[in-house]
Amino acid sequence: MRNSILKSGLAMLAVAGLASPALAGSDTKVALVPGGPHPYFAAWEQAGKDAMKDFSLAAGDYRVPQKWELSQQSQLLESLLTQGYNAFLIFPGDAVGTNAVVQEIVDNKGIAIATAGCLKDPTPALFCMGTDTGNSAYLGTKELIKAMGGKGRIAHFTGFLVDPNTQLRIDAVKKAADETNGAVTVVQVIADIDAPQPAEEKINAYLAAHAADVDGIVTTAWVPAVTAANSLRKLGDKRIKMVGIDHDEVVIKAIKDGFVNGTMLQNPYGQGYLGSYVLNKLRGGCKLKDDAPWKSNALTKKFVDSGTVFVDASQADNYVDAMRAITKTILANFEKDYMTCS
Amino acid sequence: MRQSLAIRLLDNDWAGPGLISLMAIAVISILQPAFLSPFNILVLLSAIAVNMVVALGQLVIIGVGQMNLALGALGGLVAICFVGAIEVLGVPAPLAIVLGLLIGIVAGMANGVIIARTGISAFIITLASLQIFKGINLGITKAQPFYGVPDSVKQFGNTAVFGSIPWLILPAVLGAFCLWYLFRHLRIGRYILALGGNRQAAELSGIDTTGTVIWAHALSGLFAAAAGMMLVARLQIGQPTIGDDWLISSFAAPVIGGASLSGGHVSVAGTFFGVVIIAIITQALVLFSIDPFVVQIVLGGLILWAVGINRFREWRLSKLAIQGA
Repeated sequence: MRNSILKSGLAMLAVAGLASPALAGSDTKVALVPGGPHPYFAAWEQAGKDAMKDFSLAAGDYRVPQKWELSQQSQLLESLLTQGYNAFLIFPGDAVGTNAVVQEIVDNKGIAIATAGCLKDPTPALFCMGTDTGNSAYLGTKELIKAMGGKGRIAHFTGFLVDPNTQLRIDAVKKAADETNGAVTVVQVIADIDAPQPAEEKINAYLAAHAADVDGIVTTAWVPAVTAANSLRKLGDKRIKMVGIDHDEVVIKAIKDGFVNGTMLQNPYGQGYLGSYVLNKLRGGCKLKDDAPWKSNALTKKFVDSGTVFVDASQADNYVDAMRAITKTILANFEKDYMTCS
Repeated sequence: MRQSLAIRLLDNDWAGPGLISLMAIAVISILQPAFLSPFNILVLLSAIAVNMVVALGQLVIIGVGQMNLALGALGGLVAICFVGAIEVLGVPAPLAIVLGLLIGIVAGMANGVIIARTGISAFIITLASLQIFKGINLGITKAQPFYGVPDSVKQFGNTAVFGSIPWLILPAVLGAFCLWYLFRHLRIGRYILALGGNRQAAELSGIDTTGTVIWAHALSGLFAAAAGMMLVARLQIGQPTIGDDWLISSFAAPVIGGASLSGGHVSVAGTFFGVVIIAIITQALVLFSIDPFVVQIVLGGLILWAVGINRFREWRLSKLAIQGA
């Protein structure tokens, strides 16, 4: 995975040429702050470094709260603000609660973009950029249903209940199943398992008792995807179809070996890189267009989709190319579509 | 005679949690026959094995009348050091295990030394060391897992004897027996309980309180390290978040098992049944498809119920003893 991030980073060096020339000696200090430690965000570190180099930022630093707690993230953000950081990419620890600390940032002449997860409107964040999680879960479930032959029973394993994306994912999986007019049903939702030990205990317990009762598994969080892929390998079960999420080595290998049908790729590197680019542009005098092609979701009316793509065994060896293509497209058009720069 | 034998049995700390465990197993097996399938027993025992070692790490500190908030952070640090040493430094797995255990002991001793020498509450010191251990963990991993777990380690965490007895049970049984023996037969065990029961009396009796506290924390660090590495073997991955969710269960299991949080009274067997109860409840919530948004409420309520039953048993026994006197 580290290699894939590096490859993606190198690709971005080339892609950067498509963007406007970097601002010389920018005083933009970007902090990339996830909600807590999680492998999904690891790509943000390289993204921040690359953006710092490509756009001559004063900083592009990845800072991780020690725990998934809103208070810890808020304290970290306040500390970074006092250290002189003036531009923030934030995965909200809470869709509503994080607005308070973002307001503090704005009051102190900082700017922030909600990244990888959205803040609920009204929000002082400029906009939200991330995976359209609902759409990703919906498309992933549709792929699963296709692999199941259009009928059967699905178990859905997902992430932290405090994650604003989780309810969107639960609803989206249900929506995809409901569209089959009863041919497919979601028989179980196991949530709050985006940590290794609970995921291992609950997914294995569920499969131990109900493996024969399910025909498909959709996972919409990183750790459950890894754990479910391992469990199916352990059971030696290729009857149960599975669509995972993200690009953990374990999941990619399970796709190649036929235990997992595919994964819904997100674009964490692109989020960090593009977000840093946009923050720098906005601090340099550009303005966001009100009539830009903003998408909307359950939380906000100003949403930019950082892209999602289904990767199956045929693309498992070159999935980085898919991420690269998405980022390249968004970066090439972002200024024209979303900003007015004098 | 028969009644007195029953009362003598019920007088044990483990009797209440043991009865609750048996009742829970019976009820769930009737409602969900798959509960007793070999694979489910394997899954259940694997969870019990790791959680038992975690609980033992807290039990020894509860015995001395303190708390170790850094247990999970230390377990997580050892877990990633263990896999990191193998993957990055090419250290052979057996040597990495020794290294991991040493890190656990030394870090635990450091906690103990600071607590004993400064007199500052263990709550504060372990709260601080939790941050330090977690910070080192994140500094090393950048929140990204290590994947280089050797096949031998993976096999240890995922294979079984007699179909459904995981190898992971071995360190848990060994750890439980050693701790039981220590409390029952070794001087240091009695010192720990004496110090937890009454610090002043222990000091007046000539017990080396400083050394005892350091011993207790070193042992706790050893158990945290072992649990961290067991979890690596089970998960087949060196996740930086290992240990993040140990805190509540590490206290809940000993307390369900009859341990006194003020120290001086612990039960290894009771703690075992406490672990079993939590594991069964966790699994039952999955098997019965409880709505994910109410799982935490149900889990909390069931743990309170289990503790309540045990306390009721103690109250009834003490009442019977008074009546008999």
